[in-house]
Amino acid sequence: MAVQSPPRPDAGDASATGLYCYGIVSARNARPQRRGLGDAPVEPVAHDGVAALASSVPAGTVRARRRDLLSHMDVLGAAFEHGTVLPLRFGTVFENEGSLVQDFLAPRHDELAALLRDLSGHGELRVTAHYREDAILAEVVRENRRIAQLREATRGAGAGHPALIELGELVAAEVQARTARDSRALLERLRKQARRYEVGDEPIEYELLRASFLVDQKRVAKFEAELERFAADQAGRADVKLTGPLPPHSFVSLRHGGH
Amino acid sequence: MAIATQGTASNYLQRAPSPSGLADVVELILDKGLVIDAYVRIAVIGIELITIDARIVIASVDTYLRFAEQVNRLDLTQTEAAGLAELRDGGSNGSDKAKGAMEGVKEKVSGD
Repeated sequence: MAVQSPPRPDAGDASATGLYCYGIVSARNARPQRRGLGDAPVEPVAHDGVAALASSVPAGTVRARRRDLLSHMDVLGAAFEHGTVLPLRFGTVFENEGSLVQDFLAPRHDELAALLRDLSGHGELRVTAHYREDAILAEVVRENRRIAQLREATRGAGAGHPALIELGELVAAEVQARTARDSRALLERLRKQARRYEVGDEPIEYELLRASFLVDQKRVAKFEAELERFAADQAGRADVKLTGPLPPHSFVSLRHGGH
Repeated sequence: MAIATQGTASNYLQRAPSPSGLADVVELILDKGLVIDAYVRIAVIGIELITIDARIVIASVDTYLRFAEQVNRLDLTQTEAAGLAELRDGGSNGSDKAKGAMEGVKEKVSGD
């Protein structure tokens, strides 16, 4: 059952390989593809209508280098141009074709087929928006008198000034309040065009929103238009970026303990 | 050229039909996607070498001090000038009206 056995002491076994798996497609959309990790050819391994896109990798560990991550993404992206793809998380390696079918494609067949049907015609749109530091801080100083006063009182003062923490705490609270308000407003607009969405939970400084949306291809233009309006409203205050449609990384999952 | 003509033209929204680099998608590749029970990435090494964004928890004394420093360093002359212009134009209502008019024009043009 183990994915990879540790490097064997009897070595000399440089030919030992594993089968790296990128994602799942419908077997009728499966075709040999661009090259994958380590420049190895990517081949579909089909079982009863579903197919895994896989390529040979040296046995042992998979390195998560920049080019490996890009390979993973590129293989999925190329497949996505021909139809629905269920991305696997980076780093999934089977012993061989037999174990790929026996441990994954066969026991999970119905789930995978259902996911492929369900996500057909959908893509993941990734939205990130960040405040411009100077603009949001200036806004906070203008709109909060206490902050303006504390700022005047502590300017040019040493780093040990006791009011600095209060000032910083108030600024942080104001920025957080704006984040909450603006992200809610943006989500309110975008959720109407999306079937599902998922918001990144770890707060990053000056981040207004980091979220993924599952969007029907037919609604992508409307989604973009909504986001464009928001970006125009926020011009000079926040920068908004849209990536995708991508394969639905954030919207696939399997039931646990299925086999 | 193909990229420039994709979708509707906007000067404000940054569009990337396919990921332009790793930064936008590294989180998706490493944290999302199907996970098979017995195959939970036990074969992967080197992830710790990848720098994603610096994740900063906002509620900490360090962050407060940094916010304070940033606010104190801020040059408000530019934004103050902008604020005054806004007042002269009759506050935010004025600029909203202008924006509304612009949008009206845009909709007419794109509706043709």
